[in-house]
Amino acid sequence: MSVQHEAPRTGVRTSPGVGSPPPRRLSRRHKELAWAVIFLAPAIIAILTLRIAPSIGAVISSLHRGFPGGVLEPVFSGFRNYADLLANEAFRDTVVRTVVFNVIINPLQVAIALMVAVLVTRKIGAPGLWRTLIFIPATVPIVGSSIVWGVALRPEGPINAIIEALGGTPQPFFTSGDQALASIMLVLSWIGIGYWMLFLISGIQSIPEEYYEAARLDRAGPIRTFFSITIPLLKRPLLFVLVADTVANFVVFVPIQMLTNGGPQNSTTMQMFNAYRTTYTYGSKNLGAAEVVILTLIMLVFVAIQFRMLREDRPTRSRR
Amino acid sequence: MRRTTRAAGTVGVIALMLTAACSSGSDGGGDGGGDGSWSLPAEDPTATIQVLGHQDAADMQLVLDAFAEAHPTITVEYEAVPFDQLNSILDARIGNQDGNPDVFWADQPRIPALASRGYTEDLSEQFADDLDAFDPAPVESSSFDGSLWALPIANSTQLLYYNKTLLDAAGAEYPSAAVEDRMTWEEVTERAQAAVDAGAQNGLLFGQVNRYYQLQPLPMSLGGSAGGTGDGNLTPDVTTDPWVEAMTWYGSLFADGLSPQGVTPEQSDAEFLTGNTAYMVQGPWLLPQLSDATFEWGVAAQPAFADGEAVTPTGSWSLAMSPFSDDKEAAGVFMRWMSVEGGGGYALNYGSPELPATPEGKTAYFERDVFDSDSGQDAVAIIDYESSNTAVPRLQTVGYVEFEEILGRAFSDVANGTDPQTALESATSELETAWAQYQ
Amino acid sequence: MTATTTRLRRGRSERRSVALTILAVLVAAVFALPALWLLLGSVRPSSEIFGSLSPLSWRILVPSSVSLDNYVTLLTGSFGRALGVSFLVCALTVAVGVIVCALAAYALAVLQFRGRGAVFAFVVISFMVPFEAIAIPLSQLFTSWGLTNTIMGLVLPGIGNGLAIFNLRQHFLAVPTSYREAATIDGASEPRVLWSVYWPLGGSALANSALLIFLGQWTAYLWPLLVVSESRLQVAPVALSRTFGEHTFDYGQNFAGAVVLSVVPAVMMFILQRSFGGLSLATGEK
Repeated sequence: MSVQHEAPRTGVRTSPGVGSPPPRRLSRRHKELAWAVIFLAPAIIAILTLRIAPSIGAVISSLHRGFPGGVLEPVFSGFRNYADLLANEAFRDTVVRTVVFNVIINPLQVAIALMVAVLVTRKIGAPGLWRTLIFIPATVPIVGSSIVWGVALRPEGPINAIIEALGGTPQPFFTSGDQALASIMLVLSWIGIGYWMLFLISGIQSIPEEYYEAARLDRAGPIRTFFSITIPLLKRPLLFVLVADTVANFVVFVPIQMLTNGGPQNSTTMQMFNAYRTTYTYGSKNLGAAEVVILTLIMLVFVAIQFRMLREDRPTRSRR
Repeated sequence: MRRTTRAAGTVGVIALMLTAACSSGSDGGGDGGGDGSWSLPAEDPTATIQVLGHQDAADMQLVLDAFAEAHPTITVEYEAVPFDQLNSILDARIGNQDGNPDVFWADQPRIPALASRGYTEDLSEQFADDLDAFDPAPVESSSFDGSLWALPIANSTQLLYYNKTLLDAAGAEYPSAAVEDRMTWEEVTERAQAAVDAGAQNGLLFGQVNRYYQLQPLPMSLGGSAGGTGDGNLTPDVTTDPWVEAMTWYGSLFADGLSPQGVTPEQSDAEFLTGNTAYMVQGPWLLPQLSDATFEWGVAAQPAFADGEAVTPTGSWSLAMSPFSDDKEAAGVFMRWMSVEGGGGYALNYGSPELPATPEGKTAYFERDVFDSDSGQDAVAIIDYESSNTAVPRLQTVGYVEFEEILGRAFSDVANGTDPQTALESATSELETAWAQYQ
Repeated sequence: MTATTTRLRRGRSERRSVALTILAVLVAAVFALPALWLLLGSVRPSSEIFGSLSPLSWRILVPSSVSLDNYVTLLTGSFGRALGVSFLVCALTVAVGVIVCALAAYALAVLQFRGRGAVFAFVVISFMVPFEAIAIPLSQLFTSWGLTNTIMGLVLPGIGNGLAIFNLRQHFLAVPTSYREAATIDGASEPRVLWSVYWPLGGSALANSALLIFLGQWTAYLWPLLVVSESRLQVAPVALSRTFGEHTFDYGQNFAGAVVLSVVPAVMMFILQRSFGGLSLATGEK
């Protein structure tokens, strides 16, 4: 790789402050810490009270058992909820299914979003219009999207009519255990790709034109330019999109609820859908909390791997 | 907020923060049942009560206006929440234990669960004298463990609707509207096939496709149980011959192309109204929409199997009282007016017709405009007969929600081609797991 | 570089742009077509929404007649008012949220302090917790704080958005540190550096974060139901839910509401792209 994503060195007004004397440096450290505390305080307080505290509540709740729902006090039961869940074959299947689903859908969505983002940042007519149209599915209320796709993918629906008109065999889509999950992925990708595209567009636009000029002078083709310039310089937005998309796909459940309700034969029962059903439909809050805790732990593993894979090579000058 | 129990509520919330537990912990009122310390007052108290329901606030206004006229000292603050979120919101609000809401809409098959969870006040004592005013099925659906937990305000039944244009094209005669001449499912299957052969897109549509409410009568018509037996109806009983036979028939509708896959319950009315469906089983709520239909239509009684009994679905909504209500007397006056007075203030005054749970209310209900046509008059006779004679309540168990959900998925699998025996067996094992916590 | 090669190159890139434009149009069509069906469903006679589905014909995308009744009924009813509430809630959340998140992102990307990694991990974990899992206990806390039926109760959960912080942090990391060093030597304080160096360079990332916070609030459904019981504070997605009842589903009105709800963020995104799209690091450099 000829181009590292260190800071471009054009038009820097002054030389970097490397020669500061030690005492100043120390006070500067303290100052930075003070500013960090001030800058972080509002966000951290909000996150702590509105997210983390109730999450700890959920963890504690997962260690209790009570009559499903109800105002009767649950009793402490240690890890019994977890033991019950892990002993349940249907639950283990759900965990495996969720993992497989995420291993497939996240790279796929990000790859397509990236290709679309590259396309709409090339020299084309009216890019803003096409970007907006591709983004629109992300803004349609989920209930609406689910109706559209449920109708479109009916066994006697328009998509099968098109397939038939082109000489193909009609497909069962949501009504077959083999295709339902893929069909759900299709719907989620339709919703998600335009959204993640936006963040990648802004990343692509942040890549200084000089790099592309240099590649052109090197007579690099579009594919080589893509892999040796675009991708390495897009690592940070890519990491964001991959992590955010993964989280979104782990916690999604409304389209599943509306389109397949977890079927056929549980083939689309994902862990969040399951946890939502346990908590809200069945009213088993303690058990539901345990399911969410397991879900979050799995998500953590995924995200940790992603951070590792797209690790930032620290820009040479910026640290220490 | 006007709250006398506010201090107690705050204590509860602090306890909640300390234990940080999901389910609210409180030492007060946890028993949930009524303590009989109140009675229906002879004279109306002056009070404001809060009522939570899924009916649209604008539609409810007529009802609330009528109540205000009858009981001017009681002010009702009605809050409408979406049908699909009613239970989540109830969980949150009752968990607050602050008396909001005082009265709420309770789905009848959920009443055993609501009662066991301590969400409802025991009303047996206060309303003992009013029970004779109702049809028996809705009262049964509002009771559990020998007590009355809610007052029924509506009822429901199902009819067989048919599209005369499509039946003509298939050369099929119209079904008789007389309940004693109801068709058999075998006949319907045959004629639906003829209609499809003659060009109809759908032969037979279950309006509530894959829902237990509408499919329960199939196995029961063949002599099966409601789906659960034993102590508290907590032993699954869905793999018996009647169940398997009924589900085999149901699955064949989809396999043979008589019923469409992918039409959801919310879409079935619209599907029938496009004029492409020969027969549809649906509730009376379809009648008003049919006035705009572009085709001729008729109604008949819900069919039964040839060597089986006539069984029809029933049940709707009741009003329940929160045990944390701080105006139980006023709430009781409101509930009584809604369900019993004059045949039921709710059913009588609500904009779109809801089948009342009282015979007196039904008389007034049948006077409504939607029943003016000949087919409407046929519907009157059928609804009247079914709701008093063939109606069977849904399975009564604390584990109903899980039961409905798991069976719904099994039905959907059958419709998608899974072997009925396999689907029902796997539902049984899922049910056993889900119900273990209630044993 | 000679004049001829330049011309050649330009010629080639223009030819390519036509092909790529066609490709972009096709991709856009695939994404927009299902949404178009919603739009058509909101203006066509209701019997036609499902009636035109099969057999496959041009009817599916060509209504026999067009009427705006669904929009009129919707916007003059409680939905119109709820839209106003939604706007207010979103505007407040975005205004406060972007600032809160930018401050945090700046600290996490630029400032050096012990435990920075831990704080960042904490932020990442915060957006991994499914909101549905904590909504009911959180709403009961809000009740005890007296925040039910207040705008504040609706706005607060959208403020500390971990995703927006993450997004801005990634962007701020790409800003050359020399900029800040130059500014500090000129005597600028940290807020000054953030405001006059990082904020203007934030451009499209700030716009995206604003959109992210906006969409989160704009589509909120469960939370408003839990903390608001008075109709005057009802938000648009909740108001739209009256189109689906227990037995009936008013598709025409639901689709009209869906169109209104999706047009607002789409237009917002179009405008944001216009105003901030060009203001990226690349141009900031020059």
